Amino acid sequence: MKTPSATKKAMSLICLIAGLGLLTWSLYLDFTKSEATYRGATLIVGVIGIVLGLYFFPTLKHHRTIINILFLFPLLFAFAVTVIIPLFLGIGYSFTDWDGIRVRNAVGFDNYTSMFTQPSFLWSIFLTFLFVVCNMIMVNLVAFLLALLCTSKIKGLGFFRAAYFLPNLIGGIVLGYIWQFIFSNVVTELFKTDYSMLADTNTAFLAVIIVYIWQYAGYIMLIYITGLNTIPGDVLEASAIDGATPMQTLFSIKIPMIAPTITICTFLTLTSAFKQFDVNLALTNGKGSVEILDQYLTNGTEMLALNIYNTAVIKDNYALGEAKAVLFFIILACVSILQVRISNKREVEL
Amino acid sequence: MKKKVLSVLLAGTMALSMVACGGSTSTTETPAADASEETAAETTEETTEAAEATEEADATEAADTAVAEGAIRLLNGKPEINDQLKELAELYKSETGNEVVIETIGGDTSAGDELKKMKQADNMPDIFVIEANQADTWDGLLADLSGEEWTDKTGFELVNDTMGTIGFPYTVEATALGYNADILKAAGVDPSTLTSPAAWQEACETLDAKKDELGFTAVFGWCAEPTNLGWSSGTHVFGQYLDAGLKADDTTYIDLLNDGGQIDEARMKSFAEFIGMMNKYSDPALLVDGTYDNQVAGFKEGKYVFITQGNWCVTSPDDVNFECGFAPYAFEDGINTIIAGPPSYWVAYSEGNVDAAKAFFNWCAGDSAQDILVNKAGLVSPFDDCQYEAVNPFYKSMKSYIDAGNYSGWHTMLKKDGLQNETCQVFADYAKGSIADADEFVSKISKVIKGYYAE
Repeated sequence: MKTPSATKKAMSLICLIAGLGLLTWSLYLDFTKSEATYRGATLIVGVIGIVLGLYFFPTLKHHRTIINILFLFPLLFAFAVTVIIPLFLGIGYSFTDWDGIRVRNAVGFDNYTSMFTQPSFLWSIFLTFLFVVCNMIMVNLVAFLLALLCTSKIKGLGFFRAAYFLPNLIGGIVLGYIWQFIFSNVVTELFKTDYSMLADTNTAFLAVIIVYIWQYAGYIMLIYITGLNTIPGDVLEASAIDGATPMQTLFSIKIPMIAPTITICTFLTLTSAFKQFDVNLALTNGKGSVEILDQYLTNGTEMLALNIYNTAVIKDNYALGEAKAVLFFIILACVSILQVRISNKREVEL
Repeated sequence: MKKKVLSVLLAGTMALSMVACGGSTSTTETPAADASEETAAETTEETTEAAEATEEADATEAADTAVAEGAIRLLNGKPEINDQLKELAELYKSETGNEVVIETIGGDTSAGDELKKMKQADNMPDIFVIEANQADTWDGLLADLSGEEWTDKTGFELVNDTMGTIGFPYTVEATALGYNADILKAAGVDPSTLTSPAAWQEACETLDAKKDELGFTAVFGWCAEPTNLGWSSGTHVFGQYLDAGLKADDTTYIDLLNDGGQIDEARMKSFAEFIGMMNKYSDPALLVDGTYDNQVAGFKEGKYVFITQGNWCVTSPDDVNFECGFAPYAFEDGINTIIAGPPSYWVAYSEGNVDAAKAFFNWCAGDSAQDILVNKAGLVSPFDDCQYEAVNPFYKSMKSYIDAGNYSGWHTMLKKDGLQNETCQVFADYAKGSIADADEFVSKISKVIKGYYAE
């Protein structure tokens, strides 16, 4: 390749300078709250100028890097705006007394200490862990059984697969309201109870678990089906010839063969159960009473995500909500890192 | 080289298309189109959870209205009067030439939360709705409206210690025990005598004995379901403990409550006994897991003699074929008041177009605006000189209480934000029977309130 020509050099510089100028100007207009309607156009032209300037930048050594950055930029920018910046802003807000409108004071670790003195929050954490454990076991069990069913030789296999998967396609809020109706109008009739099982804390919690399993088991089932289908036919055939009973086939061949799938599904249910929000909101909105340690808590079925939402939005304590959200992030991050570690290790072993 | 040409061409097309798009918007973008586009975006966002009809109306409205410069925006928190407010805005435009754009938030979305998002996005409306206890969050951001003409015509404006007169009352609402006068008459119960617990007890017994004969289901249409109806028990019914029997400016119990969550135990106990009576004579199918719709429909059909809502539950005379009225929650001897006043207010954002907002408020207090607000929207006017009789079936009864001075304030709106979500659970447990008696109710609710204020 020949060395960059002088015209190219000049063009690149002009584009860069003009682009930067226009960008600064439009940002200046923005910050001074100008009413000028050409602001947006100026910004776009400015950005294009900078992009062109960088593209024609007279270098051979770094050309490829520049191109890579240019093409990655839109994605990185969107990622930064929607994920990275809010994350750091959120952490920042958690050290203030932000009320959703303004920050008045920095309060240091006050939000972090005060959230652990709230019995209702501690209850929410406990309840979330309980929910996660229950679900991890139940969802996987139900999903695995459904997968076995859907890989057997029954008729209407396609229908069953679709039917089990369908609940996963309905949004959680809608699902919550549907089940609310079922619990208070259908279940009460069937079991001749005085009132809906949602009215009692223990049964309401059970109701959330049931609905969650109903929603999520179909999805996990699909993964198990894929796992079961990858078991080589010759292994199954060999075992059949050796006279293995269906039970033996299941426990000695199928389950060991799909061990990686089980790991994946376990962690999938783990993280998603932690983040449970919509069904919780629509079905019980966290209501229910618990008498514990001389306290009468009124958030009997409120899980962590809903507690954060209620703290910020309903109780109007945005900063405390942020602090709780940071804790929530840390918990989830730990779980996810653990997940990756363990799955990697397993894959190496197999 | 070919590759390079191709890539330059591709990049060029991309850039061109961007310039073209940007260019076209920048040239055709008059301020009008800009604003209407903005409103369209907002309305679709905001009303997702509001009624479907509202949404459609908004979308069409936003699409075909080109907003002139200088138009002010009003954020309404009552989806049920969205159409009437649009009509109001049209009338305002035809009478004065000024424009008001109505944006509605409601249903499950809290206007307070949405407003915070708007504030963060630097997209604040000039007029918006707040509840009394939200004034402090907007400290310093609300315009002082004192001295305006309309303030002389009403006693219901919202006054704040630091910001002055900030709230324009657009409606007066009342809550107490709404009754079906026809059934009471048939049963021989005079509602005006219901001013003591003993009288209530007697009336309940009389009514309960005659329920088959008169063909109604239960004495009370009272629902303590906490998930969706927590606002009813936690704010409105609880408000009776705070205000029943007190003069409108008497803040004894709300002050006590806001001082670290204290309650007057003796008063709370009488209140709890009254609630216990309501639980006893309620429709069991409604009490624990009913819905607002069932509750109101039951009252309209004549299934319940009393309903624990307010004048908003029956807004049109066509809804009922009987006379309606209010009876006080007389849990102590001599309580003869209902709670009446504006539960929420319109305020002007001080960094918005305050003058236009003030002009709009003054116009709203006038005759032509009141015509729409009262006769079409079914609101009750807070203004003394309003010549229109509200169509609301409860209006006559409301007015008789207000004229006699027998009304208490909506101080329940001044409790700590979110308290209703805690207390409603205690009402629910009491209704369900897991709280056995009035004493237990008092001790539990006091624990819950103290705990919440300590947070």
